[in-house]
Amino acid sequence: MEEVKEMNLADIRKLLKELLIESLSLEDIQPDEIADDEILFGEGLGLDSLDAVEIVVLLQRNFGLEVKDMKQGKEIFYSIDTLARYVYNNTRIK
Amino acid sequence: MFISGIGIIFTRGRGIDSFENALMQGWTDPSWTDSFPAYRVAKEVLSDAALSKKIRRADKFSKMAVFSALDAFKDSGITLNSNETIGIILATAFGPHTTTFSFIDDILDYGDAGVSPTKFSNSVHNAAASYISTVLGSCGPTVTLTDFSYPFQNALLLAESWLKEERCKHVLCGCVDELSVVMEYACKMKMKTAEDGKIRPFLFSDCPVSVLGEGAAFFMLSEEKCKNNYGEVSEIKLFGESKNNPDIIIIDADGMTGDESDYEKISNTGLPLAGYSPVFGSMKIGSAFNFAAASLMLKKQHVYRCPVLDNHSQMNLCSSTSETNITGINCVRICRSDQISIINIKK
Amino acid sequence: MKVVISGIGTISAAGFNLEESLCSMKNGKRNAGPVSLFPNVLPYPVFEVKDLAETVETKSIRTFFLAVTAAKEAFKDAGFSLPLSGVKAGICLGTTVASQLNDIEFYSAFKKYGNVDLKPVDRYLRGNISEALAYLIKATGPSVTVVNACSSGTDAIGIALSWLRSGNCDIVIAGGADELNRVPLCGFGSLGILSNSLCAPFDRDRTGLNLGEGAGILILEREDFYIKRGKTPLLYLSGYGSAADSYHLTAPHPEGKGLESAIKKALSDSGISKMDVCFVNAHGTGTIDNDKVESTVLSRVFGENVRYFSTKGYTGHTLGGAGGIEAVFSAAALKHGWIPASAGFLSKGDEIPVSPVAVNTTISGSFAVSTSLAFGGNNAAIVIEKV
Repeated sequence: MEEVKEMNLADIRKLLKELLIESLSLEDIQPDEIADDEILFGEGLGLDSLDAVEIVVLLQRNFGLEVKDMKQGKEIFYSIDTLARYVYNNTRIK
Repeated sequence: MFISGIGIIFTRGRGIDSFENALMQGWTDPSWTDSFPAYRVAKEVLSDAALSKKIRRADKFSKMAVFSALDAFKDSGITLNSNETIGIILATAFGPHTTTFSFIDDILDYGDAGVSPTKFSNSVHNAAASYISTVLGSCGPTVTLTDFSYPFQNALLLAESWLKEERCKHVLCGCVDELSVVMEYACKMKMKTAEDGKIRPFLFSDCPVSVLGEGAAFFMLSEEKCKNNYGEVSEIKLFGESKNNPDIIIIDADGMTGDESDYEKISNTGLPLAGYSPVFGSMKIGSAFNFAAASLMLKKQHVYRCPVLDNHSQMNLCSSTSETNITGINCVRICRSDQISIINIKK
Repeated sequence: MKVVISGIGTISAAGFNLEESLCSMKNGKRNAGPVSLFPNVLPYPVFEVKDLAETVETKSIRTFFLAVTAAKEAFKDAGFSLPLSGVKAGICLGTTVASQLNDIEFYSAFKKYGNVDLKPVDRYLRGNISEALAYLIKATGPSVTVVNACSSGTDAIGIALSWLRSGNCDIVIAGGADELNRVPLCGFGSLGILSNSLCAPFDRDRTGLNLGEGAGILILEREDFYIKRGKTPLLYLSGYGSAADSYHLTAPHPEGKGLESAIKKALSDSGISKMDVCFVNAHGTGTIDNDKVESTVLSRVFGENVRYFSTKGYTGHTLGGAGGIEAVFSAAALKHGWIPASAGFLSKGDEIPVSPVAVNTTISGSFAVSTSLAFGGNNAAIVIEKV
C-alpha cells in the first residue's frame, strides 16, 4: 500500500484496470481496452451491482480505502478516471 | 416422461458423444495426484467462448452445471415459444464447496469485513441453477436440491410431478458435484481407495473400493415425446419392488455408499447386469451418469461392455459391446438395505 | 385432492413456539441484539434464539435442532405421536447453512496441518436436515433438502404439495430451518445489505436486513388420509407457484417479473382470484431493492388496497427458514383472525406504492398468500386457505 503514494495518476489508472479485470473476472478484456473515461456501470463496460460491492472490497484490500456510502460510491465508480482520482487523493491525505 | 436431450461433463470431456465414446472405450486410468487417484474434469473442458461473458463470475461447479444443462437443451432440438417455460431442477450432494472454502480463506486472510461478495454469491448452492436460468432465458420454476443418498432420484421424481401438474412442458433436470482438496482428504481417510484405480461394481463387498469422480449430467425431460427421444421414464421407485421386467439391470455400486452387499440379491436374477461407474468415477450423483448410459443404450439399441469385469459371484455381466434389442432397463441404487431405489426406462 | 395443514410449529428469536411468537408480535417485542453465538467484529444486530436447550439432537447441528424443535410442536398440533408408524411420510425442508461444511475452525486447521479431526465432516454428513429428520422419526417416504437460498422454505412446502397430490406420500413434514452462522453473516455484510440498526421493512429510511435463525414446520396431509384419522380440516395448503427472474445472481428483476409470475401461478394453482386474498405475508427483508420491487408487484397484482406485512422485524431474515416460519405465521393469522403490524415500518417513501399494515389488524378472510424472493432470482409463493 505504501507504493501507491509514489504512483502518479497514470500508474494508478493502469493498476486499477488490472485489478478490475482480475477481481471482476473480465477475462475477455485487456487493460488497454478500457478507456480512462469509459462509463463503468450500465452501458459502457456493463458492470452491475455485484461488481460495485466487489470494487468496495478491492479498494479496501489494495489501498486501505473504505467506501461506506454507496451513494458516494456512485460518483467515485463512474469511470477509471474518477476512481483513480479518488485513490490518488485519499492515499495522499493519510 | 420422455428423455429428449442429454448433456454431460465428466473426466473424459463434454457432450453425450464423448460419453458414448468413453463407454465404447471402457476403463482408463484416473489421474493421480500425490498417489491419490481421481477422475477429474480438466480445466480446458470448462471454457466456452460463446458463454464466457454471461457467466464470467461462475466457478467450476456452476460452469459444469451450465454447460451440461445447455448441451441437454441443445441436444433435444426443442425450440420454445415465448410463453413456454422450462423448469430447472439441479441436485447435488456437496454443492459448490470449493468456493465455500475459498470464501472462508477470505475470512481468514482479510477478516469478517474484507470478504469477496462474488465468492459468497457463488458459494450458495443455487448459484448454478441461477446461471442456467439466465443463460437459457428461462423463467420457469427453478429449484436446487441436496441429498446424500438419492439426489438424482429425488430430482427425477420432482420433474415427473411438475410435468404432471403442468407447471412446465419440459424440465432440465440434472446433477452436479465437484472435487476439492478437502473432499479428497476426507475420502482418503474415511473410505477405501482403489489402489489400482479400478472401481469394482460387481464384488458386492461390505467394504468396497472407490475412485472419486466429478462432473455434471443433465437431461431434458418432456411430457410429450419429442423429435429427439432416448426413451421414456416409466417408473421411479424410492422404496421397494419394481413392477417392470427389464432386459438389463444397471447398478450404481461405486464404493461411495459403504456396504454394497445388498446389490447382490437384486443383481442375481440371471438378467444381463451392468454398471459404468469405473468410466466416470465414484460420486453420490453417479446415478445420473448410469441413467445417461441407460438412455443411450435404449436409443441406440446397443449394449456397452462393463468397463471392469471382476465378477466373483458369476453374475451375467454385459461383457461385450454389441447391438441388441432392448425394451426396458432398470437403474438401481441402494444406500440402505431397507431402501432400494429403481428407475425404469423404456424404449 | 386437497392438502390439509394439520399441524404447525415454529421457533425463532420471536419465541420458542408459536404461542410465544404470536405474543411477541401482539406486543411489538423485537428480540434483536449483538451476535453471541460466535466471535464477530461486525456491527450488525441479529435475531438469535437464546438459551436453546441442548439435547441429544444437538450432537448433530444447530439447524437440525431448530428444525426438530419446531417439528415436535407441529406433530403435537397435528395429533401424531413419534416415531411414526403405518404412515407414508415424506420430509421436505429448506435450508442454506446446513447444506455447507462452513466450519471455519476445521478448515483453518486443515490448511495449517494437512491432517485434521474429521468429526465436523461426520457431523456435516449426518446433518442433511431432511435425511436426518427422516431417520429420527422413521419416515418411509421421499426425503430431500431444498437449497434454493432465501426461498428454500416456501419451495419445500410447494414440493411437498406436489408429492401429496401425486400420491407419493400420505403426509409430508415441510418447511425450513437455518441457524445463524458466521459465514453468511460475513457474506451478507460484503454484499452491503445488512443494517446497522433494527431492520425496517418497507420503511422510507430502511437500510438493510438483519439476519436471524429459526425454523417453521408444517405437517401436510392428504385430505382423505386426514379425514380417515377422524379429523375435520380447518386449514388447507391450496396452491404453490414458482418462477425465475432469469436476470441476475444477486439482484431482483427491477419490475419483479418472476415474483408476479410466481404469485399468479400460486393463485391459479389454488383456483382463486386476487380478489379472494385477504392478506399477503411478504418477504420484506428491509433491503432497498427487495422492498421496492416487492411492494410494487403486490400493488400491481392485488391493487392499492392490498393488506401486506413482513414479520422479519420480529424474526430477522432466517434465510432457508424464512419460508417455513412465514407459512406458519400466515396459517396462524388466518386461524386466529388477526395479522401483525409490519414491525419497523414508520413512513412510506415515494418508491413504495402502498404502505404495509402498520398496526395489528383483525381480519376475517379465507385466503392468505406468503411470498419469498431469493438470491439467484428465485421467486415462490404459496396460498393458504381457512375453511
